[in-house]
Amino acid sequence: MKVDLKENFDLRESPIPLVFMDKDHGILQFSTGVLNFFELPNSHVPKKLDDLFGELPLGLKTCVNNNLEHVEIIPIVSKKGKQRWIKASLFPFSNGSTGFQVFFDDVTEDKEHYELALEAKKIAKIGSWKVDLIKNSIFWSKITKTIHEVPSDFEPDLEKGINFYKEGEHRERIVEAVSACIESGKPFDVELIIVTAKGNEKWVRSIGEAERSNGKTIGFYGVFQDIDEIKREKLKNEELNNRMRAAVQSAQIGIWDWDVVNNHLIWDDNMFTIFDIDRDEFKEAYKAWESALHPEDKERATHEVALALEGEKDFDTVFRIRKQDGSIAHIQGRAQVFRDGNGKPLRMVGINADVTKLKRKDERLRKLLDLTEKQNQKLLNFAQIVSHNLRSNSSNISMLSGMLLSNIVKKEQDKFLDMIHTSSERLEETLNQLNEIIRIQETRYSDLHGVKVLPILENVLERINATIVESKAEVCIDMPKAIRVIGVEPYLTSIFMNLLTNSIKYKSPQRALKITIKAEILGNRTVIGFEDNGLGIDLEKNAKNLFGMYKTFHNNEDAKGVGLFISKNQMEAMNGKIEVRSTVNKGSTFYLYFNNNE
Amino acid sequence: MGAKKLFLVDDDVIFKIAAEVLIKTHKLADEVVQMSNGLEAYNALIALEHSPNDLPDVMLLDINMPVMNGWELLEELKQGPEIIRNQVQIHILTSSIAPEDLNLSKTYDFIDGYITKPLTNSDIDKVKKGL
Repeated sequence: MKVDLKENFDLRESPIPLVFMDKDHGILQFSTGVLNFFELPNSHVPKKLDDLFGELPLGLKTCVNNNLEHVEIIPIVSKKGKQRWIKASLFPFSNGSTGFQVFFDDVTEDKEHYELALEAKKIAKIGSWKVDLIKNSIFWSKITKTIHEVPSDFEPDLEKGINFYKEGEHRERIVEAVSACIESGKPFDVELIIVTAKGNEKWVRSIGEAERSNGKTIGFYGVFQDIDEIKREKLKNEELNNRMRAAVQSAQIGIWDWDVVNNHLIWDDNMFTIFDIDRDEFKEAYKAWESALHPEDKERATHEVALALEGEKDFDTVFRIRKQDGSIAHIQGRAQVFRDGNGKPLRMVGINADVTKLKRKDERLRKLLDLTEKQNQKLLNFAQIVSHNLRSNSSNISMLSGMLLSNIVKKEQDKFLDMIHTSSERLEETLNQLNEIIRIQETRYSDLHGVKVLPILENVLERINATIVESKAEVCIDMPKAIRVIGVEPYLTSIFMNLLTNSIKYKSPQRALKITIKAEILGNRTVIGFEDNGLGIDLEKNAKNLFGMYKTFHNNEDAKGVGLFISKNQMEAMNGKIEVRSTVNKGSTFYLYFNNNE
Repeated sequence: MGAKKLFLVDDDVIFKIAAEVLIKTHKLADEVVQMSNGLEAYNALIALEHSPNDLPDVMLLDINMPVMNGWELLEELKQGPEIIRNQVQIHILTSSIAPEDLNLSKTYDFIDGYITKPLTNSDIDKVKKGL
């Protein structure tokens, strides 16, 4: 920069930081800009250049002595105690008189940038390169060479440079990028793998820009960065992230993040999916959560959140939500609370998973276990039958025939043959009963359908009419004509028959037998009650065995203990159950519960 | 030497007829008294409490019977007069092959045997030897 010094020019007025000085560093004139620049009071009059920024650097003094142009960057400490970098540019007077114009510039910012860049270059391993298409020469900076693991005297050319890129996709992409840059001046920024001179594979980032003249690319230049570690880390992270995302998505796990201080809750997409809520519907996720919570679980769930915030108990719970379609979902929630140094909660981050299916499986398992237990009980009953009725008859046959063969019995042979016959008949009867029981166990849902109760009952009463008349029993029926249950007709016949004959068999000798049969619908169940005023059963003693196999409770010698066992099995096969209420010497009421849901 | 008197407690009439023939053939007892359930046996035993000479020497007792089964009778006898437990050799005679029944029988220390039906000659010999 040169300033024409005119006679009437007053340097003082200028805001530009500028001084004129002689070769002994004495200041001849100075601008107010200088005072401002060096944070000096307006009244200050600097005498020598040293007054402005301390001792002069050697290079500057040498140039002044030799009357040479010079630029020097000098560190100073400002009045406010900050480090500043001052660029001082010296120009000898051009009008023949000895002396200099000295112009100042603050380069603190540039300097800092420069240093940062220098530092960054070292850390980030950034090299530079330049291709001159006219001279057909290539320049690689030292770091560029280091990245390629070539010696510092390596002389690159375009082909060599490109051949460092890994064969295949990577080389193809750099060729494409460079070609486009040459042809149309399109800049490039690519991340590719090179194979260094030492054979190491390395991720690099290559950024290039064209230098164009008259619409033609005459060269291009750019930077070259070793991003191997970053890239590998990034790829690893990406992979991990993808895997995690896949896991989280497939497991239907939602993630939430609650800023406790500002009471701001964020849900990820999965959360909205799990809760079956449209993201746009709620401005605040917390409101969405609260609105979805099952009313019966609301208090508990919010209380558990509070407990977790207080640090009393980790948040790990299952609560129910009600979805928009009215279905209930079981949600497992777990969360962690993050606190400041004083233990004050700052954030709560947690996951929600829909465990409804799991829960259902659990319930199914429990039901299955229940069923297995029941079936085990039935098997035990079977073992009892086998050991009692089957064995007692078969052992009779074996004993009787053995005695016949050993000629112990002489005169009574016919009687013994008769007894063998009876035993085999009883054996067959037992087998038939067992068969019946097994058949009942095998009843399928498809065997069940709606059956009118009254006609079946009337049919049974007709069949045992003689017995009823003989026992002088009074039978009252109180039920709607159209009442239906879901069941199997022969089972109903068998059960009604069994209950009615039981009432007659165990009637009280002291009073006339009265049997009342009622039916009513209770919600989704139909209950049929058979009430009598007979002997009654001591339930305290017998409740456990009442419906068991071969259990009897009265001094009645022809009781076989099969009827109620079969009735119970038939009720269960029809998805129903049988219960009894009884008082000794007052009577018994048997209740048949039928499920009306198909 | 056989027993003088034997109680045969079983609800199965056919079995009782056959068993009595077998018992008498083998001279296990001179007199066989048939009963159909535990209650009948209990009443008969209690009635003889004060005339111990008329108590049976042996009682063959079935388990599965209506009215009062074998176990219930044994429970009553456990609480009942000592003389019955001391003087009557009680053998369970059952068609049950369930181990639970055998194990349960071992909890009564006044039981002398456990026979599984069918009743055989060797069973009778064994009871006879124990007299």
